[in-house]
Amino acid sequence: MSVRPPTLREKRRYLLVLVEPAGTPIDQKDLYYAVSSAITSLWGDVMASSIMPAVVAAEERFVIIRCLRGTERELAIALSTITTCHEVRIALRIIAASGTIESLRERIRTMKPPVGDDSGPCECIFEKKPVQVLHCDGQKIDVIEKGFKNTNRLFLTKEDLEEL
Amino acid sequence: MKITDACVFPYPYGDSSVRRMALEARNLGFDRLVAIDTPHAGCYGIEICTGVIIKGIPLKDINSRIKKEKSTEAVVSVEAGDNSFNRAVISLKGVHSIRGIQSAEKTAFDHVAAKMAADNRVAIDLDLSVIVSGRGSTRQRAMHRFRDVLILEQRFEFPLTLSSYAHSVLDMRAVREITGLCSIIGMDISDVEKALSGIDFIMSSPDRAVTVIS
Repeated sequence: MSVRPPTLREKRRYLLVLVEPAGTPIDQKDLYYAVSSAITSLWGDVMASSIMPAVVAAEERFVIIRCLRGTERELAIALSTITTCHEVRIALRIIAASGTIESLRERIRTMKPPVGDDSGPCECIFEKKPVQVLHCDGQKIDVIEKGFKNTNRLFLTKEDLEEL
Repeated sequence: MKITDACVFPYPYGDSSVRRMALEARNLGFDRLVAIDTPHAGCYGIEICTGVIIKGIPLKDINSRIKKEKSTEAVVSVEAGDNSFNRAVISLKGVHSIRGIQSAEKTAFDHVAAKMAADNRVAIDLDLSVIVSGRGSTRQRAMHRFRDVLILEQRFEFPLTLSSYAHSVLDMRAVREITGLCSIIGMDISDVEKALSGIDFIMSSPDRAVTVIS
């Protein structure tokens, strides 16, 4: 089947999405399943077929999700109902919508990159418990409790650690 | 008018400190948070209000609990029960909102309770976490209940509040996302704005019909 000329193709829109928390490994396929499941659960199969979602790119913390033009609102609402991806807790923050992937890539380039802490694992104390810093971005600090039992990620600020 | 998330659970209930939640709330477009069992404060330009949720105790104990909270500026909420319980709670002075209406039975909030809520300036809280993380019949039932409440709200004009019930910064949603989520239960932008600033209304003192000037 030959490729349709541009004027006959369906118009598409692309959403630029930031994945939180930082450092979460994103597999495009897993994210697609999460997006598809959220859309089907919220809007049903009929609307899902109109949205035609696809995860077209995953670049570090940013993901570009495609939909058909006119269904951006439905896609955005469905994206806000995603809480896990392959049993990993995530949140998707919509940054921008555009008609081309290139403009979103340009947007990613212009966005200030997060200040990562590459100085190796750093240990701190929070609520009298030793914690290990996972990610540091400005005032935001993500830590993980040290120990065998509790390895939950905690979302703190620098002030929370400085208090002690 | 302050855009408010009417219920968040910072550490130790959740995994995020109240400061981190305030920082996130600022980025998401909020002006104020009602944080459960957290002292009144201000962080990163966000006002943190103390929130108290009363649940699972009989009515007479609720009254004494409310008296205890009267001296503080806490936003006092009571978990919804059956119809007679809700009517009794709404008539109590010092109760600011009724929560968990989606989990209560179908007749828990009727037109009489709605009229009382409007007269006593008691808000009905809409828990958006059910729409965000619920799936299937749980979410359908909650959405149906919220639509019921909205029909009564249009008729009796009692205050509404919107809560994310966030236990983590990952559960918090931007104002734009909340507007989208509320649109699926039939709220337009002006309704959402009104509900997000509902805390202002319930915490302000009512205008008196007659003012004694001398």
